[in-house]
Amino acid sequence: MAKLSKVQRHKRTAAILGEVYAILIYAVLYIPIVVMMVFSFNDQRYNYYWNGFTTQWYGKLFHNSALIGSLWYSLIIAVLATVISVVIGTLGALGLKKYEFHGKKLVNNMLYVPIIVPEIVLAVALLIIFMNLGLSLGMGSILIGHCTFCIPYAVVTIKGRISGDGDTLEEASMDLGANRIQTFFRVTLPSIMPGVMSAAFLSFTLSVDDVVMSNMLAGAKNSTLPVLILSMNKSGITPDVNALTTIMILVIVAGMLLSNGVKALVKRRSAV
Amino acid sequence: MKRFLALTLSLALALPLAACGGSGNDSTPAGGNATDVPAEASTELNIYMWQQYISDALIADFESQNNCKINLSYMSDNADAITKLTAGGGQEYDLIMTCDAYMDSLVAGGYVQKLNLDNIPNSSNINEAYWTAKDYCVPYLMNYIYVVYNTETCPIEITCYNDLIDPALKGQISTIDGARNLFPIALVALGYDPNSTNEQEIAAAYEWLTKYNDNVVAYGAAEQNLTNGTACVALTYDGNASWAMSELGDKNTLKVADFESDPVQLGFDLYVIPTGAKHVDLAEKFLNYITDPQVMAKNLEEFPYSCPNDDAVAAASESYRNDPARDFSYKENVFFQKDVGDALTIYNDYYQKLKVGE
Repeated sequence: MAKLSKVQRHKRTAAILGEVYAILIYAVLYIPIVVMMVFSFNDQRYNYYWNGFTTQWYGKLFHNSALIGSLWYSLIIAVLATVISVVIGTLGALGLKKYEFHGKKLVNNMLYVPIIVPEIVLAVALLIIFMNLGLSLGMGSILIGHCTFCIPYAVVTIKGRISGDGDTLEEASMDLGANRIQTFFRVTLPSIMPGVMSAAFLSFTLSVDDVVMSNMLAGAKNSTLPVLILSMNKSGITPDVNALTTIMILVIVAGMLLSNGVKALVKRRSAV
Repeated sequence: MKRFLALTLSLALALPLAACGGSGNDSTPAGGNATDVPAEASTELNIYMWQQYISDALIADFESQNNCKINLSYMSDNADAITKLTAGGGQEYDLIMTCDAYMDSLVAGGYVQKLNLDNIPNSSNINEAYWTAKDYCVPYLMNYIYVVYNTETCPIEITCYNDLIDPALKGQISTIDGARNLFPIALVALGYDPNSTNEQEIAAAYEWLTKYNDNVVAYGAAEQNLTNGTACVALTYDGNASWAMSELGDKNTLKVADFESDPVQLGFDLYVIPTGAKHVDLAEKFLNYITDPQVMAKNLEEFPYSCPNDDAVAAASESYRNDPARDFSYKENVFFQKDVGDALTIYNDYYQKLKVGE
């Protein structure tokens, strides 16, 4: 191989350094997750140090009804919160973009309040309100709490996505005879769908992760998964929690691979 | 048309807020007994306590004996219980676990109900010395906070709190955290009252704690660090020390520090009935059940913490009574965590300074 010129050598060094840097970044992000997955096979109850390989925790996980029950509870709340937040968020973003009204500036700025205010303050305030109204805590109260911080995120996300778009598509559609509702569902919504999907994913993530709000507003009968794991912290988190999160990660990874595979397949099919 | 609609909508939104003010008053805390006992017995009991602190078998037995369902929720911090209590926990829970340090403020604020001790005859088994605020709570388990060290790897013999700031122990101490756990030991080491409200004394305690901090290798997970060799000294609860000693088994070289004169902190986890609780009858039955010596003795097998119920301790298994973690001679030399009122902010300020490392 011919000797590389100085410029080429510098370019190659830069490329290698860039790759090393990227690998280090991914390592910082993922090594803790890998460690957690490895420790789901640890043969020691309190998971403090490695004591041998075992798969017993995966079996024990399916008998741990508290953990599985709280996972379902978390997922149901997350799905409901996502649907509500995305619907309200989409309507809000579209309204804020299109229309001028009294107090628009106020609404725009007040949107950021639930995002900026520390969640614990929001949670305790909601708790006091619910207690004073005599509402019993439970899935409803947690849902309201989650929507309180998911809706602003949804509105902000979608608003950012659609801020540059003009009205021309919609006007053209209505020119051609579609009424407002048909225009919304057939023209507007598909065109803002990427923004709506990212808002949906964001809301889902925020809702599943949420500890503070769920802790304060939980009822006596059920708790969400993060709250349950947090309460295990005092006495030690057993490896079946690691097993559960490993399974959750694998499901997500499988889902992403599947969706990418389907997209690639569709692309290939349509290109043929 | 649009304006009219907007106006109506805003009025409709404002209405619930107005209604709020009216209906909010039925849950004002009142310190008296629940006067309207439900006609039929309750079939549900909601308890808020620490996780891994009560045996599943005990719960199941109670459920089958009383034909009811117990819903357990878990807290991650004492602050959670306080928030629930002060925000009106009686609506959701019938029994909440809190600790003795907060009882004065809770009783004064009217957040807990007076207990009808006639309904809890087994409570006579509890040692009176361990029962503060007798009419408002029932102690469940208690914990000593003391020093445990590894006789083989520890460079010095520890006989008082001041030994903990010895430079020979640099990077060797694993400790529990919390302002109301750390400051009292500093105050005792300096000869002050562990529940002091004097700012100069607390400041001096802060100085002592900065030297202590130099020797600390980890806050939290004290017993794990003892077993895996990260630390050779630990300031921890007796229940956790018991775990560490049994985990090491034959290789156990841990010993409870033989304090000569310094008192150790004794804390209690107590059950209280929040004001406005809905199932008081079942709550009192439960309290009577857990203070039964046989029931508690069985519970202690699974969770070998210290217990204020003398009869239960006497009925407990051999291994519980001979637990090396509770084999120390100064059990009478204890102090309790008392409510320090407004001085709590002084403690918190210095605690923040300690953590930030100024």
